[in-house]
Amino acid sequence: MAISYWRRRDRYYRLLGNKCTRCNAEYYPPVYICRRCGSESLIDAEMPGTGKILTYTILREVMSGFEGQQPIIIGIVQLDNGVKVLGQIVDTPIDALKIGCKVRTVFRKIREESSAGQIYYGYKFTVLC
Amino acid sequence: MAKVIVASVGYTRVGDHWDKSILDLAVEASKKALKPYPNIRPEVIIVGNMFSSQSSRQEHLGALLASALNLTRTPAFKVEAACASGGVAFNIAYNKIRSGEVSSALVVGVEKMRDLDTPEASLALSMAESAEYTQFIGASFLSLNAMLARLYSETYNVSRDELSAFPVIAHSNAATAEHAQFRKAISVEDVSRSPLVSDPLRLLDCAPVGDGAAAVLLASDAFDEDDGARVDVLSSKISTNIFSVYERDDMLKFDATRDAASKAFSEAGISVEDVDVLEVHDAFSVTAALSVEAMGFSREGEGAKDAAKGIYALRGRYPALTFGGLKGRGHPVGATGIYQIIELWLQLKGRGNANQVKGCRIGVAQNIGGVDTTSVVSVLARR
Amino acid sequence: MPLNNSLIPFKGWVNFGLKTPKNAAIAGYGVYIPRYRLPSVEVARIWRGGEEAPLIKKAVASLDEDITTMAVEAARRAIKMAETKELGAIFVGTETKPYAVKPTSTIVAQALNQHKVLASDLEFACKAGTEALQLILALIGSGMIESGLAIGVDTAQGRPGDDLEFTAASAAAAYILSKRDVGSIAVVEGASSYVSDTTDFWRRAGQQYPRHLSRFTGEPAYFYHIQHAVKNLFDEFGYKPSDFKYAVFHQPNPRFPVEVALRLGFNLEQIKPSLLNPYIGNPYAANSLLGLAVVLDEASPNDLILVCSFGSGAGSDALSIRVLDGVEEKRRKAQNKVRDMIEASVEIDYATYAKLRGKIVA
Repeated sequence: MAISYWRRRDRYYRLLGNKCTRCNAEYYPPVYICRRCGSESLIDAEMPGTGKILTYTILREVMSGFEGQQPIIIGIVQLDNGVKVLGQIVDTPIDALKIGCKVRTVFRKIREESSAGQIYYGYKFTVLC
Repeated sequence: MAKVIVASVGYTRVGDHWDKSILDLAVEASKKALKPYPNIRPEVIIVGNMFSSQSSRQEHLGALLASALNLTRTPAFKVEAACASGGVAFNIAYNKIRSGEVSSALVVGVEKMRDLDTPEASLALSMAESAEYTQFIGASFLSLNAMLARLYSETYNVSRDELSAFPVIAHSNAATAEHAQFRKAISVEDVSRSPLVSDPLRLLDCAPVGDGAAAVLLASDAFDEDDGARVDVLSSKISTNIFSVYERDDMLKFDATRDAASKAFSEAGISVEDVDVLEVHDAFSVTAALSVEAMGFSREGEGAKDAAKGIYALRGRYPALTFGGLKGRGHPVGATGIYQIIELWLQLKGRGNANQVKGCRIGVAQNIGGVDTTSVVSVLARR
Repeated sequence: MPLNNSLIPFKGWVNFGLKTPKNAAIAGYGVYIPRYRLPSVEVARIWRGGEEAPLIKKAVASLDEDITTMAVEAARRAIKMAETKELGAIFVGTETKPYAVKPTSTIVAQALNQHKVLASDLEFACKAGTEALQLILALIGSGMIESGLAIGVDTAQGRPGDDLEFTAASAAAAYILSKRDVGSIAVVEGASSYVSDTTDFWRRAGQQYPRHLSRFTGEPAYFYHIQHAVKNLFDEFGYKPSDFKYAVFHQPNPRFPVEVALRLGFNLEQIKPSLLNPYIGNPYAANSLLGLAVVLDEASPNDLILVCSFGSGAGSDALSIRVLDGVEEKRRKAQNKVRDMIEASVEIDYATYAKLRGKIVA
């Protein structure tokens, strides 16, 4: 986990996806081949930091590795460039959550291996409205 | 092309098997499937399993099982396609016989889930999804389906009670199914009163965690069966979708299922109306609804509503989940696809007992891995 | 030489204090205050049998926040305000590092996509933030870098039931400093530091919570060092209290900054705008830099601001900061005021606080 996290840290820290140089389609997670035009010429592209909630859930039983964080709110957010991104939604009271709520990215701790292990950071979302 | 026959079946009850290992379970189901035909030595053994490495620290299941069955020298291997592992294993065996490469095959689906505690099982299941972008952020498989359920309910104005219809049907059928994990009927009120696990999904929207093994012995039509009603495999098709649901343009379209069903139905020469019994992948209430829509049994947005109208009940137009489905019979993930084939076999053979769909001739099984990421649709017929 | 183009009259060579470079200036600032507030009455309810408590709310970081995440949030706001493309140095001043060994500054650098930087973490209890700022200033003044980022940040924690628990808070303040230009917000005119070996508050390696000599906190520690640093600054640069529109002091509680201000000859009008302790508590290394930020949110060009930090152990950095014309345009664009973050808050009870700050042993 420590190395696979390191490999993707720019993806997680900066919401760094990619973009087709031929048709400008943008992706997060990044793709290997453009889904729209088939081009293999893609360059890294930072995603916009704001969007809106398309759907969400309050997960009350978390996976191994996330113990102590429950409940966690998870949403699928459509960013301002149209790209859909999965992420946790934080600092938001459950009754304030609605489909269509505006959100922005924040930099947060995702989880830690243990009190002696590595800490993994990444993007999450927080509600603006 | 050779015809492919489901000659015999073997299975364990789904649930807690504290006293049995993954191999114990696989051997038990295999022996039952092999027993009626001691003269058939399967020419290939294919094991469908998702996460034996997680649950049992065991891989290499093909040779492990072949050796345990005293069938060394037989080609044997495991195939994995998340919750569709069983369906995919069946598809490969079917095609090997159809092509003439072999004339018999033992297909075994097995999963040992109860050795894992709930957070560990949840992590193991999340491996069906992207480790880097779904699992990393803490989104379990349950949470993805919950988000789909919210989107589905909002988009098509589906009520809580309508969403509960599939679990109610599943449990109603499981109540009289001997191999089911939950032999207990539930009401729509039971579903809406059950604890929220990932809003809007409640505990009774979700298939349980259970151990189980299911095996089928497939043979070519050269095989001569003695008890009359023969069950033929008419077609089996696998399709795949864009990997994660949030990467898809329309998250409410199960395109892998749509594609696999349309190809499987076309090859079998059937249409939706010809189907007498239907095993759908009801891992969650919403999954069942989107599946019947993708296969054409219900119109878009009508799957759950149709279930609430009784269309998928045992005596409905398209009897579904006839022994409880994933929700009621249980969902030992790698074995599920094989349980579905076995349940169609029981129906088509007329061995359904209290769960028998009268006069059924054509059965369809749909087995999904991920959120419709892999889908296997197979058509079986009584001859 | 260094004082030739100073904005204040040349007072002759001095043998103490710091000659700050006048070609370097604050180009942007950003703060981050976490959303949750724990009222001190809650701490009193649990640990003092509900006896009366000072009317303080302290800012509490969520369970997925630490100094790294808050530093990144504050830094991103500062960079946006400064419109800086490239940084030459990143210093993070803190005493609550999540890693005892491994720099926070490199995580911040990665998150900001800034790699050609001199990066380091600084520790000096509550004054590591003003130290970071001065080091960046010096690097720019010497010509080693064009611009840099100084952050003061802490997730301060008091042992459950300890006096410190009423106020120990979480927040971050980040400053971008660059070569002075028309967009500059403020320039540091003078600086003076004063330190001594005074053990008023400490945390031994491997310990979770700090300890303190409670009676020692005021006179020999806080007041002694702040008064010395400020007096030296005055002596060196010829300031008097009335030269300053604002005075910002380290605020461990609501009382100390007021008292030290009065002792030094300031009045309440000068100190009031920066008094944040009742609303957010004491976020240690972010403390005085937050006070500066809230003042910069309202100051006018040419205003003079005194900032004096205090760090246990002990020492103070006194800085005189002149507001420049660029402040108005930058503020207008940034649309991001400290008081907005103070207000966008949610009160929590002690149980929630215990969960968020890892005080429940599962």
